[in-house]
This record gives sequence, structure tokens and C-alpha cells, in this order.
Amino acid sequence: MDLALTEEQQMIVDMTHGILEEHCTIDVVRQMEDDPKGYPEGLWKQFAESGLTGMLIPEANGGSGQSLTEAALVYEKFGEFLAPVPHFVSSVLSARLLLTVGNDAQQAEWLPKIASGDAVLTPAWLEPNRGYGEVGVQMEAKAEGDDFLLSGVKRHVYFASAAERLIVLARGPQGIDLFLVDPSADGVTLTQQLSQSGDAQYRVDMQDVRVGAEARLGAPGMGWQAFNAVLHEGIILLAAQAIGGAQKVLDITVEYSKERVQFDKPLGAFQALAHYMADSATHIDGGRVLVYEAAWNASQDRSISRFAPMAKLFACETYREVTRICAQIWGGVAFTIEYDCQLYFRRAKQLQLSWWDTPYLEELVAEDVLRDD
Amino acid sequence: MDFDFTKEEQKFAEEVERWLVDNHDPEVMDLTRENFSQLADTPARRAFMQKLAKQGWLGMSWPKEYGGQEIEGVYEFILNEALARHGAPQIGKGVGIIGKTLIRHGSEKLKQEFLPQILSAGVEFAVGYSEPQAGSDSANMQLKAERVDGGWMLNGQKMWTTSAHFADWYWVGARTDPDKPKHDGLSLFMIPMDHPNLEIQSLPTIGKDTTNQVFFEDVFVPEDYMVGEQGRGFRYIAEALDLERFTMFTLSPIEDRSKLLVQWAKGATRDDKPLREDPNVRRTIAHIVTDTQVAKALSKRFLSAAMKGDKPPSIESSEYKLFTTTLSQRVCKDALDLTGAAGQMREGQEDAPLAGRFEGAYRATLNETVGGGSSEIQKNIIARRKLGLPRNF
Repeated sequence: MDLALTEEQQMIVDMTHGILEEHCTIDVVRQMEDDPKGYPEGLWKQFAESGLTGMLIPEANGGSGQSLTEAALVYEKFGEFLAPVPHFVSSVLSARLLLTVGNDAQQAEWLPKIASGDAVLTPAWLEPNRGYGEVGVQMEAKAEGDDFLLSGVKRHVYFASAAERLIVLARGPQGIDLFLVDPSADGVTLTQQLSQSGDAQYRVDMQDVRVGAEARLGAPGMGWQAFNAVLHEGIILLAAQAIGGAQKVLDITVEYSKERVQFDKPLGAFQALAHYMADSATHIDGGRVLVYEAAWNASQDRSISRFAPMAKLFACETYREVTRICAQIWGGVAFTIEYDCQLYFRRAKQLQLSWWDTPYLEELVAEDVLRDD
Repeated sequence: MDFDFTKEEQKFAEEVERWLVDNHDPEVMDLTRENFSQLADTPARRAFMQKLAKQGWLGMSWPKEYGGQEIEGVYEFILNEALARHGAPQIGKGVGIIGKTLIRHGSEKLKQEFLPQILSAGVEFAVGYSEPQAGSDSANMQLKAERVDGGWMLNGQKMWTTSAHFADWYWVGARTDPDKPKHDGLSLFMIPMDHPNLEIQSLPTIGKDTTNQVFFEDVFVPEDYMVGEQGRGFRYIAEALDLERFTMFTLSPIEDRSKLLVQWAKGATRDDKPLREDPNVRRTIAHIVTDTQVAKALSKRFLSAAMKGDKPPSIESSEYKLFTTTLSQRVCKDALDLTGAAGQMREGQEDAPLAGRFEGAYRATLNETVGGGSSEIQKNIIARRKLGLPRNF
């Protein structure tokens, strides 16, 4: 039992912190809100040069083959700095999908480019009025000879305008398949949709978009299984991101509460407020260890079927609640655009709603706990 | 980063588990007593502690010159979690705060008289800190200790002395220096619990067991039964809490109650439908299981910090206690909500779900967020020591 970071892990944390501190200031974060591309080229270049873009890709494919534990530490930093980057969709989800079910040619074509940051790929998953589960994927992939014709609507496709390929979940003849689709192909229409956090997300309309058999990742009908497994890994990182954000917003709030005086006392001297902050710190520390343990279990090749949803469920609830508490402590200024508290407040709720929300995660945990022995 | 116990620690945990199964005795191990099960308050339970002593499991972390083994405190953590899981008495005050304080500050006489007895489980202690005017404000003890020829004369009252009705010795804080600031005016004394001038009054609780108030009327304590130096009592008390890093509020009973509830929910039906298909039940269970894992994470965090040994894990232990005791009560509340009307039936009623365990636990856990430092005190500690917020009371 030793929860301390190794020297190497600490180095990765410090390096990530250094990059973000210099290239991901609050001004940069604010500038990127509602930006059609959604991420600053300079920051992404730094990510690429430092190897962050390839951290979950094996060395043989151009990456550095780190484990999910290291990635979780990095994601905590992303949360702290509110980093607007396509890392999750490209370097995590797309890379892991390619690694899990991509064939040699697909891996050779895309993994080195993802690792070097030269290409961004992004999954196109959710559909209007449908849920987060397998049944929610209803877009049709009609077989026509060796080709497939994709028709339907996807939403919440992050960084789609900057992506070289979408990884589209669609229903083929044998179940859900994953298709690599060029977003500039005929029949694809991207429409930016403004979100709570102001990140770059798109609605993708597809009308008879033709792709060849070589565009399919994995065996027919195996798409959901692959996506489900990869997203289980992914949500551990988002949980880490939530913890990082919660910690940062609590930190700036604690500092503010030492300076801001009312009734001749600093706010932090009022027990009503101090106890809010102590509760927040406790939930953040508990959530952080839970997230680390989930990531560590994944790194040890142990099952994460319960740990992963527990981690995101708890971390995102904590982040949301901590931002509410912090806004309360800041008082009226938290309601203004000028103060930073609102940046976390909006992102916390969006993160909770994205990539499996609270009810879906509760159900994943319940199913794992309550199924027959 | 490593979330597992070492091979040696795992081996020890298995050894303890095997031993507890082999030595199972329903008279000694009673989970329905909840937190009170930790007390060695009956002859059978005292005999059990003596068997534990023969195993060499008492005072494992003590220095060798006092009969200990100088092994890491994590083994005491493992032992206590296992004892608690079985509803057996736990190692506690004797090898913990009292033994460790005597080792550091006690006279040769007190060491020789008590340390061997502690290691052989030959003595049980009661601790008297709380008073009517010293609850959360623990330094506000008013029990008067006045200098008399050859010793001290004690007058006043203690509250919440849970072990008073069965203990052999009383470990008591009293005010020897009323003119000094409140933290500096206290001293520690040891008094035989059967002293004729001590009156013990039972204070029945809504749990299954009783606690006590103790009245002192001209209780004479000889000079050499003051522990350490006069006026340093509160420092010793605080220091002992820091020294005693590994045997605190146990998690395993809460973990096991969560598991028990899940097992029950898997098989229960209402209106002929499996309860586990009810979305509300599923949601409740998901949160219980998740929060129980968070409590375990905070326990690991505390344990990991304690094992580092550089500074007392006071913040970690406050966060752990705050979260875990709150959760403990909520698990019992949720259990009653899930069992519905039947949940109100008490232990011993034939129709009570889970033999009335949660009705009993619902009562017994009420005190967890108060005893041993209330949730509010824990939050004050976190606010001050971790967040650096100004003193607020």
C-alpha cells in the first residue's frame, strides 16, 4: 500500500503542468470558447512535442506506451487548466479503438499520425433523442456491394471540423460497426452546436455517405463491444479531469475566502463556509484515490467494469457539487463572466452529462453489483 | 503507486482470518452489537483477548524492550479490521493510547505495573475525558484535582465512560492547575475503577448497550498514579491520538453492512416482483456501493500516509472519519427505506428483514458522527490544517 507517485509519474505531472501553465492560460481557455476549431494550435503542438498525444499508443506505433495510471495523472492536470484539446477523442478514444479492433493497415495509417498530433480523429456516437447505450445507436449502414451507405444524424461530435476522420458508430447487417469517415466526404454536413462549456462540438448529418469495406474497424457487428470497452477506460480519465477541475476551483475559492472580508472577518473564518470547503476537500480527496485505484486496476489488467463507472459517477458529482459550493462562497461575482469560477461551474455540469451521465453510470454499477453471482 | 497489501501483510491477514474462523464463538463475536462489539466487557470476551495475547498480537508495534515486536502499525490495522469484521473485541485503549503514553511518559513504577498486564490482556481500561461541560470542547474538563498530603483529591463528574461498568482501571484527565490556560491546567491520573468513592451510573443508549457517567467524591489518588508531569495532560492526550495511527474507526463493519444489503436486495421481492429490478433500488445500491468504495479509498489514503511515518496523518484521518461515519448512517437509513414497512421490526421479531440488523444498526450508528470527534470538529480540523483557513471558534 503506497499511494505516492513514482519519480517517473511525478515527472510526467510536472511536465504537463509546465506546458499548460505556459500555453493554456485562462485567457487562452476563454478565447477558445465557441471557437469553431476549439483548440489552440500552439498548445496542441506542445502536446505533440512532449509526447502527450501518443502516451497511450505503443512505441511500435509511434507513441510512448504509458499506462492508464499516467494518463489519469495527466487528465487531472487537463481538468485543473481546463485544457481545450482534442486529446480525449483522438489520443484516447480513437487511438484505443484503432488499437483494439483496427487492422494492420488502419493502425499503420492512423496511429503514428495521432501519436504525432498531425491528425485528429473523433468518434461520432450519440444520436438525437436516443440514449447512451447500445440501443441508442440506430444510424443505418446499408450494405451495397462491398460498400456501405451511412445515413442519419449524429450529435456531440467533438472537434469534428478539425478531424481528418470521424469514427462513426452505425448499424450494419450484423450489428453495430465502426466506420472511418472523412468529414469532408460527399453527404456529410457539419453544424457547430454551442454548448454549455463552449467547446467545439458538431451535429453531423449524413446522407448516403459511401464508405468502402476497408473503412470498417474490426469484425462485423463488434463495434459496440469495442466502443464500450474503450469508453470504460476513457471515463476513468474524465473522472480524473473532474477531480483536477474540482481541486482547482476549490483552491482559488479557499484563497479568495482568506482575503474577502465581511462583518470584519475573512469569509473563511465563518464556519458555515469553512465546513462547505472542508466537505469539498474530503470528497475531492476520496474521489481522487478512487480514480487512481480505478486507473491502477486497469494498468494491472484487472476488471474495471465496476471501478470505472464508480469513478466517473463520484468524481463528476463531486465536481458539480464543488462548483456549486464555490460559486456560493464567491457570492454575486461568481455569476459574472469576469470571474473564473463560472468557467468551472459550466464545465463541471457538461462533463457530468457527457460520455455517460449519472443515471447511465448508476445503472452500470447496479448491473455489475446486482446481477446473478 | 500500489493499492495492494504486501505479500507478508496479505499472509498475516489470511492467518488472522483463519484463526478467527477457527476460534469462532458466538458468545464473543456478536455483529449485532455493532460498535459496542469492540469492548472486552464479559468474561468470555476477556478470555478471548487473552487468547489473542498468546498469539502475540497485542502490542505488536511496541518497542522490544517493553515486550513488543516493533513491527509496522499496518499489522495492527489489519488485525483490528478483521476483529471488527467478525464482531469480536478489538485491540484498543490498552495497547493504544494508554500503553503508548505510559511508554513515553510514564514512571518506571507505572510501566512495570501496567505494561506487562496490557500485553497479556490482564487489564481493561476505561477512559475519562468527556464531562458535562467538556464534550467537543474537550480541553474544558472541570474535574477538580486538589493537592493533598501524599497525592491528589479528585471531585467532579465524567460523562460517556463507556467501559466504566467492567473496566479495572480508569484513565482520567483532571484539572490540577485551575489558574493556568485551559489546555495547560490538566493532568492525567490512573485510578482503580472499584475505588469506593467513585459512583458509576449507567446511561442506557438507544443502541443495545450502555454507557456511563461517573461521579467522583473525594477520590484520593496517590502521587505516583499521576501520569507524567503535572499540567501536561492535554498534550499527552493529543500526542496519543497522533501516536495511535492505525487502530481507529474501523471500516469493515460498514463494508459488510453494504454487502449484506446488496445480498438481500438481490433476493427480495415486493408485490411478487424482484426488488432489484426497481430503478430506485438500483440507484440507491449504486450509490451505496460507490460511496463505500470511496470510504475505502480514504481509508487507504490514511493508511498510506500513516505508513510513511513522517508526520501524523491527522488530515487524512479526519477526512476518513468524516466521510465514513456519514456514509455509515446513510447505509442504515437506505436499508430501512429499501426494506419498507417491515424495516421497523426489531431484532428478535420473526418477520424482521435481515433479522432486524439494520433497525439495530440505524440506532447504533447515530453516535458515530459524534463520538471520537464530531463531524463538525473533523471539518474544523480539515479547514484549519489542510486548507489553512482562519480559526473559526
